[in-house]
Amino acid sequence: MTRKTRYFMAGSAAILVAGLCTGLVAYYGGGFPSLSASRSGPAELSYVPANATVVAFANIREIMDSQLRQRLKQVLPQESGQKEFQAETGIDIEQDIDYVVAAMTTPGEGGLPNNANGLVVARGRFNPTQLETLARDHGGVVEDYKGKRLIKISDAHVDVDRQDSTVPQHRGGDHTGMLAFLEPGLVAIGSETAIKSAIDAQLTAQSITSNGDMMELVSDIDRGNNAWAVGRFDALAGQAKLPAEIASRLPAVKTFAVMSHIDGGVSGSFRAEARDDESAENLRQVVQGFLAMGRLTSANDPKATAVLNSLQLSGRGKTVILSFAVPSEVLDMIPLDKLKKGGDGMHEPLLRPELKSWGPKAPKAPKPPTPPTPDR
Amino acid sequence: MKQGSPGYFTAALRVCDLSIGEMLWSRRTIFMALVVGAPVLIAVVLRLLDALGAPVFRVNGATMAGPAIFGLMIWVFYLRFTVPVLGVFYGTSLIADEVEDKTITYLFTRPIAKGAVLVGKFFAYLVCTTFVVLPSVMIVYLAIVPVRGSLGASFLDLVKDLILLAIGLAAYGAVFAFIGARFKKPLLVGLIFIFGWEQAALAFPGYLKKFTVAYYLQALVPHAMPNDNVISLIQGIFRESPSLAQSLVSLTLILAVFLWMAAASVERKEYVLEQ
Repeated sequence: MTRKTRYFMAGSAAILVAGLCTGLVAYYGGGFPSLSASRSGPAELSYVPANATVVAFANIREIMDSQLRQRLKQVLPQESGQKEFQAETGIDIEQDIDYVVAAMTTPGEGGLPNNANGLVVARGRFNPTQLETLARDHGGVVEDYKGKRLIKISDAHVDVDRQDSTVPQHRGGDHTGMLAFLEPGLVAIGSETAIKSAIDAQLTAQSITSNGDMMELVSDIDRGNNAWAVGRFDALAGQAKLPAEIASRLPAVKTFAVMSHIDGGVSGSFRAEARDDESAENLRQVVQGFLAMGRLTSANDPKATAVLNSLQLSGRGKTVILSFAVPSEVLDMIPLDKLKKGGDGMHEPLLRPELKSWGPKAPKAPKPPTPPTPDR
Repeated sequence: MKQGSPGYFTAALRVCDLSIGEMLWSRRTIFMALVVGAPVLIAVVLRLLDALGAPVFRVNGATMAGPAIFGLMIWVFYLRFTVPVLGVFYGTSLIADEVEDKTITYLFTRPIAKGAVLVGKFFAYLVCTTFVVLPSVMIVYLAIVPVRGSLGASFLDLVKDLILLAIGLAAYGAVFAFIGARFKKPLLVGLIFIFGWEQAALAFPGYLKKFTVAYYLQALVPHAMPNDNVISLIQGIFRESPSLAQSLVSLTLILAVFLWMAAASVERKEYVLEQ
């Protein structure tokens, strides 16, 4: 065997061994999130357990910076609750939270009866010391779970704090909520089961990112939307424990996806994947019927008509898509000052200067007749 | 056999050592590089386009995950094309090339069994093809699977793919080594076998498909069979999958029997070199 042949075989063997080692480490060690550059959705999806029935995402930063939010901020009074929250936790919702990922999983053996396990993972700038102190003050217990710092807050303690309050007492058992510091700048809030499942999911790579069906949904809607939610409708309906009569009348929808982009206006769509073509056609007809009824009843209301006209029903096969686009011009028609507490609603609607002339224009005055020009 | 001459297996290994270099740097390697390089190139381009945001993974309105694309590539590029075609081109040429080059005399005058020459060349073929095909599969796996998929979750499928491709190369190689040793115009016979006989037998209901290599090999594939053309669709309809044990035993039998028959054929046959 020549040296050239040996080099070639050593190179081939090296590729093979390197690939196998990479795969083996990924198999046992929990994957390589950073290598999956083109994977859809935020990296925090690795904390969402694979069996999640609903996954949602909201880019709080973009939404807070949106023109719509800025306009709402001008007319809505400064909420005292928000200030109190900031004073207690040190978190300014407007500035400190970049985005949140929320998920809901079916309650497992450790889950609460009749309660889905909710999980919210928030990325931003937090002060762990302040949060920990606050939780301790409210009877929180600090513990470690697989290297992550958790603060357990039981409802029992909260109930004691509320003895003298007028709030109805929770008697549903010892409901344990939890706050977890997953990474610097990443906190999770949820039930104890949900938080521990999230940590396990990330460590074992058995997260939603390994659930091909859900990730397909996420990848379809992730780009260009600053808020979205996807889920398995059948699992949700089963979880809701609806009466058989109602459950049997629900549309045969397998999965759903809601996505929206909020900026000056609001645009988005709702997409449902039915079990078969026939179910999808039925659903399309039902939605079409509702839209027609809406147009009929709102014929004299230009605002409602404008909103209804923005709804577009589409889709083929098993897919039903209802999309909407409410441009800022339509939102300008809504007198937002009526939303002000104690507002008399008599003020001029808040309009952007350049749009004040939007709406049906008055007919132009006829041009004065031009004097006849003398013939040359 | 002369006294003091190496044993059958030792002789085969010596021939293998001698033949690997010849086989690897022959003109056929260009063809092999093209055959295994195409999937790698496609995988890398797909990955780049996906990273740039092009909807290359969308099929009929749905976005496919990387592992599904990888499974599709294993079926279409490797199992249905690369493995049988490399088997034909290399397997049929094990002895035919030596006859054509009129160098078979030099090998047969050595103090080793004639059959060991063929077995040694078969080992060389196996080393050459596995060392080219399997790294190519590995690169495709690393490039494609992480796209909306998990390397860890697909690892076991990858291992199965590598094993079945190696088994496929061995089984097809043995069959075509026999065809090369036994028939005149072995390349033509081999091509008819893979693109005529195997395709037809798999498309009809009945027992005929049991006389193909693909029937047992396809039963080992961990990915769903694609229906990318009419023949695939028909094959999918009449597809029967033998059990894992049945497939492995059958492929081992095919390998052993055809290799033995090829070696026996070389032992008995008198090669007359045309002047």
